[in-house]
Amino acid sequence: MTKVGVIGAGMTLFRRRLQETGKELCFEATKMALDSAGITRGDVDMVVCGTAPDAFDGVAMKGEYLLDGSGGFRKPYTRVFTGGGTGVFSTIAGWWHVASGLADVALVVNEEKMSSCQPHPQSVFANIWDPILDRPLKPNLVWIFAMEMNRYMSVYGVKKEDIARVAVKNKRNAVGHPCAQLADPNITVDDVLNSEVMAWPVQRLDISPPSDGASAVVLASEDFIRKRRIKDRAWVSGVGWCIDSTMWTDRDLVFPEYVARAAKHAYKMAKIDDPRRQIDFAEPYDPFDYKELHHLEGLLLADKGEAPVLTREGVTERDGKMPVCPSGGLLGVGNPIAATMGMKIGELFWQLTGQAGKRQIPHEVHTGVSQAWGDLMQYGSVVVMSA
Amino acid sequence: MTFLDRTTDARKFRHWEGNVEADYIYTSGVAGERFFVALRDDGRMLASRCPACKLDYLPPRMFCEDCFAELTEYVDVPQAGRVAAVTLAHVDRTGTKLSNPQVWAFVTFEGIRGGLVHRLLVTPKQARAGMAVRAKLKPRDARTGTIADIEGFEPVRSRF
Repeated sequence: MTKVGVIGAGMTLFRRRLQETGKELCFEATKMALDSAGITRGDVDMVVCGTAPDAFDGVAMKGEYLLDGSGGFRKPYTRVFTGGGTGVFSTIAGWWHVASGLADVALVVNEEKMSSCQPHPQSVFANIWDPILDRPLKPNLVWIFAMEMNRYMSVYGVKKEDIARVAVKNKRNAVGHPCAQLADPNITVDDVLNSEVMAWPVQRLDISPPSDGASAVVLASEDFIRKRRIKDRAWVSGVGWCIDSTMWTDRDLVFPEYVARAAKHAYKMAKIDDPRRQIDFAEPYDPFDYKELHHLEGLLLADKGEAPVLTREGVTERDGKMPVCPSGGLLGVGNPIAATMGMKIGELFWQLTGQAGKRQIPHEVHTGVSQAWGDLMQYGSVVVMSA
Repeated sequence: MTFLDRTTDARKFRHWEGNVEADYIYTSGVAGERFFVALRDDGRMLASRCPACKLDYLPPRMFCEDCFAELTEYVDVPQAGRVAAVTLAHVDRTGTKLSNPQVWAFVTFEGIRGGLVHRLLVTPKQARAGMAVRAKLKPRDARTGTIADIEGFEPVRSRF
């Protein structure tokens, strides 16, 4: 297999509503990624577009619709989609284009324009439920997150304060992010605990916002990187992905087995047998604060039920022993589903190449892991990257 | 086991009726803002120019899909265009027969990448590819800055 590196990344502002069309958002992120890699569209052999349900943007065949802004014109071009998991999975698809030897350079572009959907994308989320068993009950998507969060709290005796610390950490981390939608340098645990209850125990500040935005990364072969003398690169050392049962009632709500399986696959490839020692920082998917904890345990970076303790002890702060979501994550930067790639793959690239600016982890880091979560809340995608 | 009798009515099976509710507000975007404001206020059709590729895009785009430059220069589309292809719609999209066939055309313009699909304001018998046409706009007061500000394309009498 060809060794593959990330050589450029870009992302737009993340905002609740942006004037730009989805194509225009893709263009801005793609242009930034190409410029940062020091290459042109002409250098790109293949393009992968990652974007979540057509129903958010309200354009059927959204991959086709976004292709010009994504640099796909007259190129081998594919859309991939694994729900929120696309945030990391599309990079895996880009990776196999290059790792297989088919392409020297693959461009990955992710986009979501959730503000098109009125009055709120929740109305579209309602249609991901089973039409016979669930939809007649008119469920709200937050219900299952609330039950998962409650189960996690009940089994391990986790306090809401310790979960709220994640939201506080990430919204504060996002202060250094130029694209952030919900950065807040002064937020406190009490602010989270006093915010509106959506579906108990989930409160408003436990959740990331819907957003408009796009992000892009450029992947290249070792050969291309050497020939072009590209210095800012981070190697993709492991990839993994896995999906659990289609019935959410059949899953273990306490432990994300699908993340653990994806992580083990990626770690084996990256020759990591002791992730807590060999991984320096993590960008797990954090659309809800409890999900960062859930995913840290799935990524085997914390024992079962231990992630809230590590958070309370400051281990996961930017200057802690295992920084988690130094980007500010979805909770702080925003959640344009697939485009969260900017904080997952993009942040790994920026941190590992020393380009994270105000967000730069103060100590030296060599290896990071990113993970996204999606489909009907049972899909995990994992990428390990090394300096 | 499945139902072996043929039926055209799925309600004969145990079922739940649902609908996928979805309402949208689509923004016209950066290039679309330029195009529709000029159409509404000045009755002009604009294309965006890529100087490097020597291309003008209609409808205008904020970027060149080929060289990937950001496009900031806008030029007027020539007044007269040419019908590249026509179709006569005899049924609507629900399959209902129309009392009079509708005439639709794809209109292209000299030196312009792209073109517009719109109504062709002639009788079905007159419709043919190759006709020289120009946009017929609604009166200024009736224009709101949408593609419907163009009523359709009408023949240009003199050749150009």
